Amino acid sequence: MTLRLGRHRFPDDRKLMMAIVNRTPDSFYDKGATWAEDKAFDRVAQVVEEGAEIVDIGGIKAAPGVEIDATEERRRVVAFVARVRAAYPDLVISVDTWRAEVGRAVCEEGADLLNDAWGGADPGLAEVAAEFDVAMVVTHTGGVAPRTRPHRIEYDDVVADAISSTTRQAERAVSLGVARESLVIDPAHDFGKNTFHSLEVTRRLGEMTATGWPVLVSLSNKDFVGESLDLGVGERLNGTLAATAVCALAGARIYRVHQVTETRQVVDMVDTIAGLRLPRRAIRGLA
Amino acid sequence: MSTPVVIASCPPALLRRYTGQVDPVPELRAAVLEAAAWITARAASVEILGGESSLRVAEEILAGRPRGPAGVWVAANGSARRSEKAPGHLDERSFAFDEEVERAIAAGDVAALTSLDLARGDDLLASGLRGLADVAARGGVTNADLRYAADPYGVRYWVATWEIA
Repeated sequence: MTLRLGRHRFPDDRKLMMAIVNRTPDSFYDKGATWAEDKAFDRVAQVVEEGAEIVDIGGIKAAPGVEIDATEERRRVVAFVARVRAAYPDLVISVDTWRAEVGRAVCEEGADLLNDAWGGADPGLAEVAAEFDVAMVVTHTGGVAPRTRPHRIEYDDVVADAISSTTRQAERAVSLGVARESLVIDPAHDFGKNTFHSLEVTRRLGEMTATGWPVLVSLSNKDFVGESLDLGVGERLNGTLAATAVCALAGARIYRVHQVTETRQVVDMVDTIAGLRLPRRAIRGLA
Repeated sequence: MSTPVVIASCPPALLRRYTGQVDPVPELRAAVLEAAAWITARAASVEILGGESSLRVAEEILAGRPRGPAGVWVAANGSARRSEKAPGHLDERSFAFDEEVERAIAAGDVAALTSLDLARGDDLLASGLRGLADVAARGGVTNADLRYAADPYGVRYWVATWEIA
């Protein structure tokens, strides 16, 4: 099914890499590595080189902390989006924001995708996506407020809840004028979910892909991997890639990652095993 | 004839279905199980009070014991905003608030427990304090014994026993 992200079309079912580029001093994994604008721009160059089709630019860390208002958020991301847009016309630019005001500002600078990581906290964001004809990721968060941790959240069935929430948000976006081919659903691992919930979502991801909406997964170095293996933030790549392979087999379309090269290899290998991708070059035993 | 009362924090981490290889709350679990044994030895039935999440946990801990008025189990905890990493992040008001509740539990201070700032408790994500006040108001508290008090994850946990007239 063709996926249209802004002006960029992806006509086949090829799986896409969305590289995280944080414009924050304090995100959990990169801890300010791309806070300086030039460092962030270098990272964009690096991930493009590694084959990322999408960069996801975010101005506020997901964890609780000092409040970052819309003005500061715009200061962190808007001009940067313009700079990336000018340098990389073929790159899909996604912006991770829950705020319609920020969404509008980055769309004016050429963003292609609004990544609504907090489950529709600002109902105006979908209207902005429709107005600018950009794509949107809608997420399941169990209703938690932005930048809050899950506290004793329970679900009768977390997967059913994730499907119901994201498909409802997607249909709402369509009714507001967002193109159906421009919507992506994301179970949002660890958002409003404990480790058991995130593991179950991963195990049953096939139920989400079976809805027909393209699915994005954001697994990279998350706590559900850390708690499963008892490993700190910097040691979770292997666990992340294992979860990635499971999601790839289940048909997830977009992978939101810190490590593009490793994820691309894992997803390509899974697709080759599944018969969706040809081996690149085979001669052993065939000469 | 006095009624035995347990006040115990009952986070979902105590549930069987949320068990990992390593118990993240071994001291709390030991104190809770000891309190469960204490009350089941003294009461043929137990009334359980607490918020929705805690009730589910308390019911599992007391499974097999009929519901009834012979004993009371109050599932309660203090602020969940006691550190930057706490579920509710850090709210500096937590410490004075929890200290006041804890002192009152340890002393069986009915007057203090029935005049807590419950709205502040809600803000701080404390749980079960209304049940605590309700039980305290039923009669004189004797033999108050605070057996465990700690916040390994930024949530104030307590396990205490009382008797009420």
